[in-house]
Amino acid sequence: MKGNNIYKPVKAKVREVIDESPTIKSFVLEPERKFYFKTGQFIEVALDGIGEAPFTPSSSPLIAEQLEVTVMKTGHVTEKMHQMQGGETVGIRGPFGRGYPLEKLYGKEVLIIGGGCGFAPLRSLLYNLEAEKEKIKKVTFCYGSKNPKECIYEPYIQKLRNINEFEVMRTVDDADETWTEEVGVATVLLDKVDVNINESVAVVVGPPIMMKFSVQKLEEMGYPDKKIYLSMEKNMSCAVGKCGHCMMGEYFVCKDGPVFRYDEIKDKPDIWK
Amino acid sequence: MDTYRSLSKQEWEKALTQLLNHYHIYAPLAWGENQDYERIDEDSVADIIYNRPKPASPLKTFFLPVKENVINTEKSDKKRIILGIPSCDLSGANILDEIYLDDVFVDPAYKKNRDESILIGSDCHTLQEHCHCTTYGIRPYPEENHDLTLSLVEDTIFMHINSDKGEQLVREIGNITQLSEPTENEIQEILDKRKAVEEELNRRNRDLPNYNATGDLINSSGDEIWKKYSETCVSCGACATICPTCTCFLLLERPGFEKVRHLDACQYPGFEKVAAGEDPLKELYKRFRNRYMCKYVWKPEKFESTACTGCGRCIEACIGNISKNELFMELYNK
Repeated sequence: MKGNNIYKPVKAKVREVIDESPTIKSFVLEPERKFYFKTGQFIEVALDGIGEAPFTPSSSPLIAEQLEVTVMKTGHVTEKMHQMQGGETVGIRGPFGRGYPLEKLYGKEVLIIGGGCGFAPLRSLLYNLEAEKEKIKKVTFCYGSKNPKECIYEPYIQKLRNINEFEVMRTVDDADETWTEEVGVATVLLDKVDVNINESVAVVVGPPIMMKFSVQKLEEMGYPDKKIYLSMEKNMSCAVGKCGHCMMGEYFVCKDGPVFRYDEIKDKPDIWK
Repeated sequence: MDTYRSLSKQEWEKALTQLLNHYHIYAPLAWGENQDYERIDEDSVADIIYNRPKPASPLKTFFLPVKENVINTEKSDKKRIILGIPSCDLSGANILDEIYLDDVFVDPAYKKNRDESILIGSDCHTLQEHCHCTTYGIRPYPEENHDLTLSLVEDTIFMHINSDKGEQLVREIGNITQLSEPTENEIQEILDKRKAVEEELNRRNRDLPNYNATGDLINSSGDEIWKKYSETCVSCGACATICPTCTCFLLLERPGFEKVRHLDACQYPGFEKVAAGEDPLKELYKRFRNRYMCKYVWKPEKFESTACTGCGRCIEACIGNISKNELFMELYNK
């Protein structure tokens, strides 16, 4: 990044807005020049004159012409994003931080646990693993959501279920008559997974409370802390380790993370808040 | 570059007046017992105060102004000379440089502000009530991050050259007026003054802990001490604002994809709050503790430089009368 202004975004056109759920939309962005990122790294999306917020792309890191972010309406910037129709110009900065440790997943049984909009960064990882499926033993993806309407990426779930090396298990907190899969919080799926823990690495992304209980469960199952990876959500404003808002102990989550091995952060204060 | 030059105060003021044509000059001006950096003009050159610590604002305000556009970082019309910088503030620039000029991401606005400044450090010939730099291993005279050191003894200005920039400036002054080389006795007088002030600081602060070794004390402290000392804290953020090494900021969007940086502080509610609602620093005592953890535990783990310099401004600025030194004494003596 040397020589460039680290705060200056690249312009990108919003090519498509996709409704994923009543509270979640995806935005297909076409940057004015090719944009490369590694799965799990994040970008800052700026709405001109309004604000900027961090998102981990939900698209494949193997495609540089377009990228996609999947956004839950939770705050000032995301609310404005949800009002976009397509055709708008946004700014993007990045990619920033440390992504998923692909090399640590090769040759392993990968257990992925996602909650809610945490599926967004995980879809990028799944795309990546799908493209390199000969390098992994298998992928078990456990996905938990509030209710069937909030289950995102339905077509992609169906696609994954047709790939031999991929198993997808889903649960919702509140089921309706259409729901045929599990009911309960995401950890209920962990009672049912079939993995060889000694050969496995786990990746967890979701709301803090879901990550907390998932990690507890993984530890009970026998996963060592060094085999559990988490993507932390903090207030990453500058994204370059300077503004201080995302500090977690001595770490700048934006620069040292957002993906951490659990043993690196387990003793830091208030990691689940 | 171990070189001294001297000139009379009158000639120095004449030279400064000439330099105003090419530089913006900032120097401490006093009001009562207090002082702060002000932009100097022909009329105020004679009012500059020398060798008296310390300006109300820390040096960081020149590199990290309260508000600054970080996208438009064009060169300024003139470089600036900053006079009268105490040693504590110069040492404080180390951690600023580590954060803002790191190996991966150089902050362009900070770099510009840093590059465009000629830093003239000042020997402290007197002390303020809460000065305690020596507990951090910092001496009351400039040793780093400066281009010149300046001492006024009786009616003579002594300059010590510390960098190429400093040498260049002395050359410019030499073109305006005649410079002398001080005698050994005169240099000895400067060194004696330094020694006397350092001894006074050591004597005054002998009961304070060695601050470079307080991380473990803080790390192992329970909640009580933070709850006790934050009882009168009102989250005003004055301690962080006035701190030469607190560097956090907010980025705000401006039309045209521009960004404006505003200095911020972990003492304000909502500093770490995320859009989804989680806020690790929701409780006041946790915010209060956060600043100490940051300075004495986390920054030392991550950076080489100390994140506190013993300037004592946080003690002076606190409307709740919270003294960091008292807090540490209590922790230390437990």
